[in-house]
Amino acid sequence: MALLEVRDLKVHFPIKGGILNRTVGHIKAVDGVNFSIEQGKTYGLVGESGSGKSTTGKAIIGLEQITEGQVIFNGEDITSIKNKTKDIRKDIQMIFQDPYSSLNPRKRVLDIIAEPLRNYEKLTKNEEKQRVYELLELVGLTPESIWKFPHQFSGGQRQRIGVARAIALKPKLIIADEPVSALDVSVQAQVLNFMQDIQKELGLTYLFISHDLGVVKHMCDEIAIMYRGRYVEQGTKDDIFENPQHIYTKRLIAAIPDVNPRNRDKHYVFRQEVKKEYEQAYDEYFDAEGLAFGLKDISDTHRVALPERG
Amino acid sequence: MEAKDMNVDSQVLKSESPSGLRILWRELVKDKLALFSLIFLILITAFVFGISWILNQDEIVRVDLFAINEPPSDEFILGTDYGGRDVFGQLIIGTRNSLTIGFLVTLFSGIIGIVFGVVSGYFGGHIDNIMMRILDFFFILPFIMLVIVFVSLVPSYNTFTFSLIMTLFSWMGIARLIRSKALQEKELDYAKASKTLGSSDISIIFKQVLPNITSLIIVTMTLNLAANIGLESGLSFLGFGLPENTPSLGTLLSYATNPQTLEHRWWIWMPAALLILLLMLAVRNVGEALRRATDARQRRG
Repeated sequence: MALLEVRDLKVHFPIKGGILNRTVGHIKAVDGVNFSIEQGKTYGLVGESGSGKSTTGKAIIGLEQITEGQVIFNGEDITSIKNKTKDIRKDIQMIFQDPYSSLNPRKRVLDIIAEPLRNYEKLTKNEEKQRVYELLELVGLTPESIWKFPHQFSGGQRQRIGVARAIALKPKLIIADEPVSALDVSVQAQVLNFMQDIQKELGLTYLFISHDLGVVKHMCDEIAIMYRGRYVEQGTKDDIFENPQHIYTKRLIAAIPDVNPRNRDKHYVFRQEVKKEYEQAYDEYFDAEGLAFGLKDISDTHRVALPERG
Repeated sequence: MEAKDMNVDSQVLKSESPSGLRILWRELVKDKLALFSLIFLILITAFVFGISWILNQDEIVRVDLFAINEPPSDEFILGTDYGGRDVFGQLIIGTRNSLTIGFLVTLFSGIIGIVFGVVSGYFGGHIDNIMMRILDFFFILPFIMLVIVFVSLVPSYNTFTFSLIMTLFSWMGIARLIRSKALQEKELDYAKASKTLGSSDISIIFKQVLPNITSLIIVTMTLNLAANIGLESGLSFLGFGLPENTPSLGTLLSYATNPQTLEHRWWIWMPAALLILLLMLAVRNVGEALRRATDARQRRG
């Protein structure tokens, strides 16, 4: 059974307008998303900014109201915020995008990492400190860090503190909302590899939200491409990278830069071809509002939003 | 582990960060005028509270018809008023009363305003809407008139009840300020992170958000203190503050409404007027320095 199952998830934000401030329309941030994640796997959610990938993550953990659909975690329905009982909250944690604003600037590292422990576990001061030391060691920070404030750390170190806080309760699922996009490229790899290490060590499941295809390729087992609140293509890593079916996916993958400078011209020609195909076939692949169609099975793992033909 | 603990604990002092309070303090030390004002305030406060401990209020406000309107002499350092009461004694007790009211009103209105503002701002939406309309209602009430009505209605009042009456109509400014700040803070990821970590709304409000707006609170409350001292003096001057047997700086000043006193008996009102001026200026200097400290671009220290 899947650890997390999301069925037809919709998150709509009302647009208020007019004299009486009535709802005049909806922004469909997430519009009918289905997926499931197996225990121990990493599921990547990719899309341009504004495609609704972060909103999906936030809706699952309960930071956004779900308009419609179902979220099932470990066999329990946690769609409404009310159903997110303390025990379930404990099992789902989040790593935030911005390591600068996600740590309270007025708190010491001890207080930051101990916050979830204080909420869920009755520990004595010494046990608590002990646990924080262990977590700091796990994320590779020195024990002295415990008395420091967030601003005394670099971005990468701060993100490690964020990770330490997220794994403090030994959760089952971690929603990583662009965990490295605010970091230096040299630090990105460091944090990503470290995330993979603790995944093996603690048996974590990741919902990995990113706009960086390179990072996603490195991290994920399964990948979904989102565009304007809908899925465009979903499949295993190989399905997406070796056999992209949708023109949007094709164009995204063509945009990944090639490290070999000798191929520069060839790559440029290829990109131009994909661009041409995208522009020509745009009307075919997207409906009148510019949204993707419903998903169709191509193979057991691969689903693509292909146009209805015939 | 124990040894490691000790080692780490000893480093706390070294790795002290420039926290908000520290920045405020540094700015105060850098701004000599503000530092001087602060010392002046502390001295005056200590002096009036210390001396009034010894002085007997009933004795000072007792009418003595044999010593009416006496100029300063050895017996009466600052002379006497039209009831033969010692002006110096009244000045000490009056300053104490005025300061007490100023502090109490600032404290009470601060507490109400902070709680109201931070709750309204944090929850937002309908709760914020309702709470802000209540606040608007209090805002449009004519403050001076209502305080006068209340003072006439309540048969006997002292510094404490008078402070409560003033508090009732002076918490809105700080509430609105704190709300706007809380609206900003709750959108930051650390507040959301706390939520995903299982903290309750109450604990997020008071343990996570509030510490981030302390410097704003300190600054606003300091500046409010000056305003409240002035307000109390104003009301007493108009005769709607404290009764005559509880002197304040305002009651002393109100003697100057008599042209005779104004022209020929400066010792009755001049010291009180100067003291009000100096106190308000001093508090303001400190407040302005603190306000500057919260804005990195204006900082001097």
